[in-house]
Amino acid sequence: MLSIKNLHAAIEGKEILKGIDLEVKPGEVHAIMGPNGSGKSTLSQVLAGNDSYEVTGGEVILDGKNLLEMETEERAREGVFLAFQYPVEIPGVSNLQFLKTALNSIRKHHGQNEINAVEFMKLAREKARQVNLDESFLKRGVNEGFSGGEKKRNEIMQMLLMEPKLAILDETDSGLDIDALKTVADGVNALRSPDRSVIMVTHYQRLLSYIVPDYVHVLAGGRIIKSGGRELALELEAKGYGWLGINETATAG
Amino acid sequence: MTALATLAPEFASVPDSTLPGPLQRYRDNAAKAIAGMAMPTRRTENWKYSSRHLQLDTALAAPLAATGTISTDIGDAYRIVIRNGVIAADESRLPAIDGIEIVRFADLDEVNAQKIVEQLDGALDTAALQFAPLNSARLQDGLLVRLASNARLDKPLFVLCQTLAEHSGSAHPRILVDAGSHSELTLVEQHESQGDAPALVNAVTELNLAAGAQVTYVRLSLDGTTVNHIGATGVRLAANARFDSHCVGFGGPLRRHDLQIRLQEAGAECRLNGVTVTLGEQHYDNHTVIEHVAPHCNSEETYRCIAAGKSHAIFNGRILIHRDAQKSVAEMSNKNLLLSSEAEIDTKPELEIYADDVKCAHGATIGQLDAESLFYLVSRGIGRTEAGTLLSMAFINELVQQIPVESVKDAIEQRLIDFIETTFQEV
Ligand SMILES: Nc1ncnc2c1ncn2[C@@H]1O[C@H](COP(=O)(O)OP(=O)(O)O)[C@@H](O)[C@H]1O
Ligand SMILES: [Mg+2]
Repeated sequence: MLSIKNLHAAIEGKEILKGIDLEVKPGEVHAIMGPNGSGKSTLSQVLAGNDSYEVTGGEVILDGKNLLEMETEERAREGVFLAFQYPVEIPGVSNLQFLKTALNSIRKHHGQNEINAVEFMKLAREKARQVNLDESFLKRGVNEGFSGGEKKRNEIMQMLLMEPKLAILDETDSGLDIDALKTVADGVNALRSPDRSVIMVTHYQRLLSYIVPDYVHVLAGGRIIKSGGRELALELEAKGYGWLGINETATAG
Repeated sequence: MTALATLAPEFASVPDSTLPGPLQRYRDNAAKAIAGMAMPTRRTENWKYSSRHLQLDTALAAPLAATGTISTDIGDAYRIVIRNGVIAADESRLPAIDGIEIVRFADLDEVNAQKIVEQLDGALDTAALQFAPLNSARLQDGLLVRLASNARLDKPLFVLCQTLAEHSGSAHPRILVDAGSHSELTLVEQHESQGDAPALVNAVTELNLAAGAQVTYVRLSLDGTTVNHIGATGVRLAANARFDSHCVGFGGPLRRHDLQIRLQEAGAECRLNGVTVTLGEQHYDNHTVIEHVAPHCNSEETYRCIAAGKSHAIFNGRILIHRDAQKSVAEMSNKNLLLSSEAEIDTKPELEIYADDVKCAHGATIGQLDAESLFYLVSRGIGRTEAGTLLSMAFINELVQQIPVESVKDAIEQRLIDFIETTFQEV
């Protein structure tokens, strides 16, 4: 599915990712943990195609295609989805219009015809219900005035609508109460299938009790310094990052 | 030092027409007054940015010959066509409502024509309107819309100012609205054109609102790319009258609109909305003046401009609060969006306040599309053209949605989308 080799990336001339290697096979769920400022969001944004980051080395292959050469919109159409750590508010563009345009762009890419307004409304309502977002959110501006938790659920709703083959969740769990956390986890679990993969960036192990990962990686200082099974997450929770030789406060950002 | 350029004498030539005597005399006097009229230059403050677009060569002095028609669907509304400055009476669809008169100047009798002459220019500050006298000098016809007290037009009245530019020339449409006390009117002044020859449209509209009258004015500047457009709208409001305007303009070689509002008696209110879009080498210059003459008047003005390519948008908004206009409330906002680094926007709020007990707020901004928002949309699979268009429309949508005539709102919204889309495809 996804193969990252020796990926380096910089922002404003400052190198953040210093050689990331990661193999994600179809159906797998990978958790990426690490202290603040270690480069988790940078990795997520680079994969999604944010061109304020400069890729300075390495390669990323998605199902045999060079991901880094693809335009941002093309990556999404090919099935890459990023749930943003900080979803942006866009007043004046309604959530409905946004979702419909996005879905149709993806459908068009796959040679499917545009979804009609009635069918789309039905689908959007269903997905909103699935993440416990009231229908009225569909009519509001994109994330406009949404609470932190509502924004995260809106991200998951978009993911359910677009059915990506690779979902990258950037701290979708942070700031959520336990009910919202379960809603988000249910959403992700509903999408899990043998041909879809998930990269889950998280700070805490609690999400991992609801979405059980196949692998856990520790990202620190722009490198993956340790990988293991889900037991690694429990170990991190018990011992903190200190035992891996990471000074958490020094890298906070 | 070179001599100031003057308007070519051909512009002062009196066109054929069948106007009644008093209007002919009015026109002839104006023609004398403009002979040798100096053209605005860079140093003319209110034409600072637009004078270089004034290329009024003699070919534009000829009256445009009226041939053909532009078929415009206006839905369920009243209609009158002013083609090349002359009213095409047979294409009108007019109400038969007591107290509402819609008449062409050419059809007025001497007595009524004399009354009109006394009213003409009364709603304009001609000192700031260099080209209004030219409109008077070239008067061929005109439209009078008169509402008696309490008269109410049940549907919008569309005045389609059509310019047929197969050959070069100019047209000088003229509209006079006399809204009696507590009357109600929705007027849509739509400028449109056909043909590729360079042309000049120099339109003047005056609206006089008596006490308690309510007028909604929609002004659409949709002329084609070879039409130079200079337009002026003057409005006078008596006690408790209300004027709402929605001016939407698409750029062109020369686009100028002056909107002058005078709140003359207590309790008068106006709300002015404006949207302009420009691309390529286009130009659009909005000059608005709101004068608070009497106490307890409110004004609210919101203009948004989007400029792409190498185009140039100008907003000059003046608010003048006279000494006696205590308890005035005036708000003005002008926000601008630059879609390219080569586009230019000049915005200048001018506040002159001579009363001490007033509430006055103004703000002007110039920005670009938000990169983060753009990335968010594109990361969902939305193409860059579509994403840029969505965000640009979001910038003006609030104003577009306020256009009170449904059919106009829908058509203009689509037209804006199409226009903005082309600006992203150009890149
Ligand atoms: N726009 C930016 N400009 C400069 N530095 C940045 C920018 N974005 C992130 N960084 C820096 O990159 C590093 C990694 O940030 P990030 O990827 O957000 O970490 P994480 O998501 O793991 O907390 C931090 O040191 C942060 O300060
Ligand atoms: Mg982060």
